[in-house]
Amino acid sequence: MMQGLLFQVILLIKLINKNMKIKDFQTKETNTWCPGCTNMSVLRSIQEVLTDLVNEGEIKKKNIATACDIGCHAKIFDYIDASGFYGLHGRTIPLCLGLKIGNPELTVLGFAGDGATYGEGIAHLIHNCRFNADFTMIVANNKNFALTTGQATPTSAKGYKGASTPSGVKEEALNPLVLALTSGASFVARGNVLDPQQLKRILKESIKHKGFSFIDILQPCLTFNNFTPYLQKHAYNLGEDYKADNYDKALEKAREWDYSMREDGKIATGIFYQKERPTFQGLRDKLKKPWYKVDRKIDKEKIFKEFV
Amino acid sequence: MQKTILVGGKAGHGTAFTSHFIGKVFCSLGYYVFNYRDYPSLIRGGHNFNVLKISDQPIYSHSNKFDVIIAFDQKTVDLHKDQLKEGGFILGDKKLEGDKIKKIDLSSILEKLDAPEIMENNILLGWLFKYFGIEEGVLFEQAKEKFKGDKLKLIKKSIEEGYKLSEEKEKIKKNGKPKYFISGSEGVGVGALNAGIDAYIAYPMTPATPVLHFLAKKEDEHDFVTFQSENEIGAVNNAMGSSFAGAKTMVGTSGGGLALMSETLSMAGISEVPLVAYLAQRTGPASGVPTYTSQGDLKMAINAGHGEFLRIVVAPGDAQEAITRTEEAFYLSLKYRALVILVNDKHVAESDYSFKELKSSDLDNQSFIIKNPSDDYKSYKITKDGNSPRAVPGQGPTVRASSYEHDEYGYTTEDPEMTTKMNDKRMRKEELIKEEVKKLNPVSVYGKGKNLIIGWGSTKGAILDSLSELDDYRFLQISYISPFPKEKVKKEIEKSEQVFLVENNATGQLGDIIAEQTGHIIKDKILKYDARPFVPSDIINQINK
Repeated sequence: MMQGLLFQVILLIKLINKNMKIKDFQTKETNTWCPGCTNMSVLRSIQEVLTDLVNEGEIKKKNIATACDIGCHAKIFDYIDASGFYGLHGRTIPLCLGLKIGNPELTVLGFAGDGATYGEGIAHLIHNCRFNADFTMIVANNKNFALTTGQATPTSAKGYKGASTPSGVKEEALNPLVLALTSGASFVARGNVLDPQQLKRILKESIKHKGFSFIDILQPCLTFNNFTPYLQKHAYNLGEDYKADNYDKALEKAREWDYSMREDGKIATGIFYQKERPTFQGLRDKLKKPWYKVDRKIDKEKIFKEFV
Repeated sequence: MQKTILVGGKAGHGTAFTSHFIGKVFCSLGYYVFNYRDYPSLIRGGHNFNVLKISDQPIYSHSNKFDVIIAFDQKTVDLHKDQLKEGGFILGDKKLEGDKIKKIDLSSILEKLDAPEIMENNILLGWLFKYFGIEEGVLFEQAKEKFKGDKLKLIKKSIEEGYKLSEEKEKIKKNGKPKYFISGSEGVGVGALNAGIDAYIAYPMTPATPVLHFLAKKEDEHDFVTFQSENEIGAVNNAMGSSFAGAKTMVGTSGGGLALMSETLSMAGISEVPLVAYLAQRTGPASGVPTYTSQGDLKMAINAGHGEFLRIVVAPGDAQEAITRTEEAFYLSLKYRALVILVNDKHVAESDYSFKELKSSDLDNQSFIIKNPSDDYKSYKITKDGNSPRAVPGQGPTVRASSYEHDEYGYTTEDPEMTTKMNDKRMRKEELIKEEVKKLNPVSVYGKGKNLIIGWGSTKGAILDSLSELDDYRFLQISYISPFPKEKVKKEIEKSEQVFLVENNATGQLGDIIAEQTGHIIKDKILKYDARPFVPSDIINQINK
């Protein structure tokens, strides 16, 4: 009887210990974001979601791999305790695909900004929407290049004034959601950093989604482009009645807002579109295992024989 | 026995196929064959030609005087008739105009066989091999390797028709055991297979693409993956991710593509994520002369990428070396977590070489990934020799790679002391690599003589084949450009009377590197930058001038 109880206590302790906590995803690195930066909220959301997913048995911590761009948001690399590659500006997406090629079992999360994803590396975004490899691309969209002191990006609104555009941006902004949808992304969402509960739901779904998940997170930059009041006024939640499996509807919703600062802007947030289709990995029977575990028998004589 | 055959025609006539077929037949009879491929940048039309040099002795280059010209069109006759040797002849359709043409009524044979125009080459092959006194069966054996069913039947019939119309003028006998016939691109592919490649990632670019084609066909048999990315920058970043995740990964491109990749090569340097980058040179600058050969990218290979970082640059001189150097590239890259650039020339990549046997360097082809890394694993552990043990994500602990300067765990740092330490750590690996490269024949000396010819890459073939006609010359081939085998090169230069540098570029790039590394300035340079490869006579004439 006593033995049984002891066993149960030990099991309970084991279970508690096994339970991941947020601190397991935190690091001791000094945070160098501006005080009150919206990136803090995204970081916290990611850590919470990863903790939950590990505890729910959906993913394994050791299999998480991040790929980070260059920019303020990318400093997240140093603040999440997980494996990862701190890459080059604009190249996070191909780095993510590479991680999946090298080890299809990895849970891959890409972090990049709007300048990197919609400017420097836009070709990669378009093609990876087509490829549909199973990873999650999280774009911190503050509608400016913050770390380089506030220059305009492709999603800066027409009229945006930065040091490189003192008289205001002349062109209309790019709509990344429309681009992702028309390029074939199988999961398209927009997050609002001011609504962390919804953001966490989106992040969780995106990581669970089998295929290329694309999330554009609207994140005012308190130093160079603080559109918090606009976001507060114009953003609305797609809500529970919205069905994300309708492509035409998703496109219609995505076109509702053109990333401008118009007075009549209506900014829907949530999961716009989610429909699974064959993944990059699913379409390639070679991509079923981590290559470093493959023990290949190489018959050189046979390889040579083809040439005689 | 030595014969030089030119096969020429419009793109789409099957000149490359025909010459390769002739080469295979002679190799099956035990002869040595070198097959040079010359083609403009177009799909149909134009003028393509191949030059086959066949010999009973080892041969590594072609020449520009022909015993036989197989002409699929009038242009081939017009362009090359003056290059016929005394007693040589042209073989082709009866409609061809000119002297010394053996004319065959190809259209009526095609009509009789109800065969498409592409069968013309088989008729001509039948005719030629009868002339050489080689049995039809030898041709059929080769055809069987490539074709089957009705197509094979039709090919056989076409060969027979040609055979019937010809007369035996020679009696070419067997020359020992069959020889291996392999291109430089196939050599690179074979080297990668021998090394146990997991992923080959590329964006098409001549003359690197044949490696992608070769490997793509081998995926199933050897269980690895090839992927054509959206562009070169995508490809090399895919490769970095793939390698970091534990796959033995290689990218392939030409000069323009490597230029696009260069920022990422720099990342390979600082992140110490292994990468093998295959660079197949063609004539630049910019779009240049895209389907022709050059050695214009050597300095780019040793300098591409911003900042200072370690790299290994190795250049094979023929198809056999393409095999072993590719194996070495994987070995060094994985063992030392380093960037290796494998520099080829179009002339090696797209020429077929023949060998008595093919060899592997038989290096350890493991990935050098440690078993069971500890929870406190440091991705960039500062070690005495600079090499940090390699773990990969998925094994257990947090494994980090970074393009930023970093501490031992891979966290970003801007600290001056750590920045210096990490630079020193990375650079310390150079000593290790130097010692290792010493064991891999970084230079080779061929022949004996008090005078010296220095070259690298594809010039090897033409230089080797000119040695017998030069007075007292030996050949120093430099295969490792970085780390540069400076003592050996210095010694060879210092013990020579006359020294010639041979390079397929306009400025003598290797010469500059030799000067920088050894202090010796080589004044006698034989440079060729007309987008064409060297033939032995180019070298012999210059030296004997």
